[in-house]
Amino acid sequence: MNGLFRGFYAILYKEFIVVLRDRATLFFMFFPPLLQIIAFGFALDNDVKHMAMVVLDEDHTVESRQLIDDFVNTQTFRVVGEVGSVQEMAVAIRRRQAYVGLQIPPDFSRRRRDGQTARLQVLVDGSSSTIALQALNTALGIGFRESATLLLTEAGRDNLPIEVRPQVLYNPAMLSPNFFVPGVIGVALQIATVFSTAMSLAREKERGTIEQLLVSPLSRWGLMLGKLVPYLVIGMIMAMSLFAILRWVFFVHIVGSVAALLVASLLYLFTLLSLGLLVSIKAENHMQAFQMAMVVLMPSIFFSGFIFPRETMPWIFYAISTLLPATYYIELMRAIILRGASLHDFAFHLGVLAVMGLVLFSLCALLFRKRIT
Amino acid sequence: MPRPPAIECADLTKRFGGFTAVDHVSFTIAQGSIFGFLGPNGSGKSTVIRMLCGILEPTEGRARIAGLDVAEDTDALKGTIGYMSQKFSLYDELTVSENLKFYGRLYGLRRTALARRRDELIALARLEPYLDRRASLLSGGWRQRLAMACALMHQPTVLFLDEPTAGIDPVARRELWDLLFEFAGRGMTLFVTTHYMDEAERCSHVGYIYMSKLIVCGVPDDLKQRPEVNPPGTRRLDVTCDHVTVGLQSVRQLTGVLSATVFGQSMHLLVEAGLEESALRDRLTAVGIHQADIRPIAPSLEDVFVTLTGRHTNGGQV
Repeated sequence: MNGLFRGFYAILYKEFIVVLRDRATLFFMFFPPLLQIIAFGFALDNDVKHMAMVVLDEDHTVESRQLIDDFVNTQTFRVVGEVGSVQEMAVAIRRRQAYVGLQIPPDFSRRRRDGQTARLQVLVDGSSSTIALQALNTALGIGFRESATLLLTEAGRDNLPIEVRPQVLYNPAMLSPNFFVPGVIGVALQIATVFSTAMSLAREKERGTIEQLLVSPLSRWGLMLGKLVPYLVIGMIMAMSLFAILRWVFFVHIVGSVAALLVASLLYLFTLLSLGLLVSIKAENHMQAFQMAMVVLMPSIFFSGFIFPRETMPWIFYAISTLLPATYYIELMRAIILRGASLHDFAFHLGVLAVMGLVLFSLCALLFRKRIT
Repeated sequence: MPRPPAIECADLTKRFGGFTAVDHVSFTIAQGSIFGFLGPNGSGKSTVIRMLCGILEPTEGRARIAGLDVAEDTDALKGTIGYMSQKFSLYDELTVSENLKFYGRLYGLRRTALARRRDELIALARLEPYLDRRASLLSGGWRQRLAMACALMHQPTVLFLDEPTAGIDPVARRELWDLLFEFAGRGMTLFVTTHYMDEAERCSHVGYIYMSKLIVCGVPDDLKQRPEVNPPGTRRLDVTCDHVTVGLQSVRQLTGVLSATVFGQSMHLLVEAGLEESALRDRLTAVGIHQADIRPIAPSLEDVFVTLTGRHTNGGQV
């Protein structure tokens, strides 16, 4: 290419060879994202099942045993042991032998039979809040259901006054991987791609090869595009592998079109690679590039909606999240994969990614000094 | 119309903050010259080269390469000059052949033109046996030959080489210089920085930069004739004897001896013209140096640089 992109083919040729021959870099590009998707996909499971529970049954009646069964039957709890006192129960929770303690007082069945309020005590370890919340809700649910059943019998009715019939759309089983894995793809792609371009120019500076490029007629746009395209190709291959894992390892059904996924990924990768190049222009060496890339990437781990819903963030973090490419990509991924949204439905998100990409790429070309300072 | 000089610079100056790296350097180099640029590390050699190559903007002064202003005609300049930087400037992951191809493409060479030029340089630098070898696996001498071939792909008329022979073995060094002479013979102008005096002696012109200032510049033979180097009433002698290093200090103290430096197995003395050879021999014997072989010599380039550096440091005018 002549004119604006002068030298593009030369850089493209060289960069492809360098990337493909440098096995270590290739490995570090592919390995972390694969590890991330596997690890996060399995570990980031919010569906709490069979949490350890100790029981202090001071009542020892049919009713009390029935109640314990009710707890176990929700599949949320499993009994790991019986304790003799409230103190022992507290110790078991403190030592992490159980998350939950269920105390049934001696007068439980008597008060229930006599029409008085029978009290149950449930101790929940609040140190992991997600688990605590679910334990709490389940325990309260059991209480309400039992109460309702008793009241219905007393009132001689056989149906509830109000019945809610919820229907969960798009992720009916409410499986955590369906929520997390699309987000992990966004974060995993980001780490591999930003680092790869962030290092590529920094390495030329460190080795001194940059001077050789500077004395040549290579144009800034040609250099930037030549540096970017090989990683874009590799990034797309990586994105496709991640989608394959999503589909065949986590069995997430991709509702939307694969073409839509690829278009969104292409825009996202272009933006990320431009961001990496920008870091590379500012960094003098590997170490600086690495640190700057970390600083750039950190916010998106927390604020992109990858783990924490953006809607519940304080306004300042929400504002930060609107500046992150990952925010838009992760929303796009969830929309396309889970809800079958078309690109048209999310034209705004695509537009934002495209504008970010073009702005960042132009900045790279404009800020790159063809002289050393 | 006369051809413009290959390189001409006037009051070329570069300041980094408060530090002046290059201080009002002026010189002119005719086309086809081999210009040897010498000076201690950190004296400003590389900074001058970078300014001449258009990748570092001069703070003051002007420079022209084959008539092109380095600050203004950068685009035209790039096709005219070749540059081999001090750091190893090749891509380790690429083979010899791929490095040549890359640099050719970088300068817009395509297909047949690219292949033809590549073959020419492979033949010239005798790189055939290593074509498919990764650049990282070449020895120092071959890396430099490849780097030079890469810098020549676009047929520049002026080639800058920043310490091309640093760290390579003597045989490779000589071969590299043979190549340089071959290029100069074809009309190319070479600008070479070096630390080696024997390399400087081979150049058609030399310059010596010291503490950011160009303190001497010219044809080696002319420089050796300069009065500062040959003070009136003195002459230079070569004294070959045993234990040169041991005797050096006492020789420096002898009456009539103005300075003494070791050169391998001998000492180079600057003595008063009136000092007779027999008188010197007696004095040498007195300090324990027997059977010295004494003969008059002309000053070397090193003598020139040492003398002029000394005058410069002492505040003397050059």
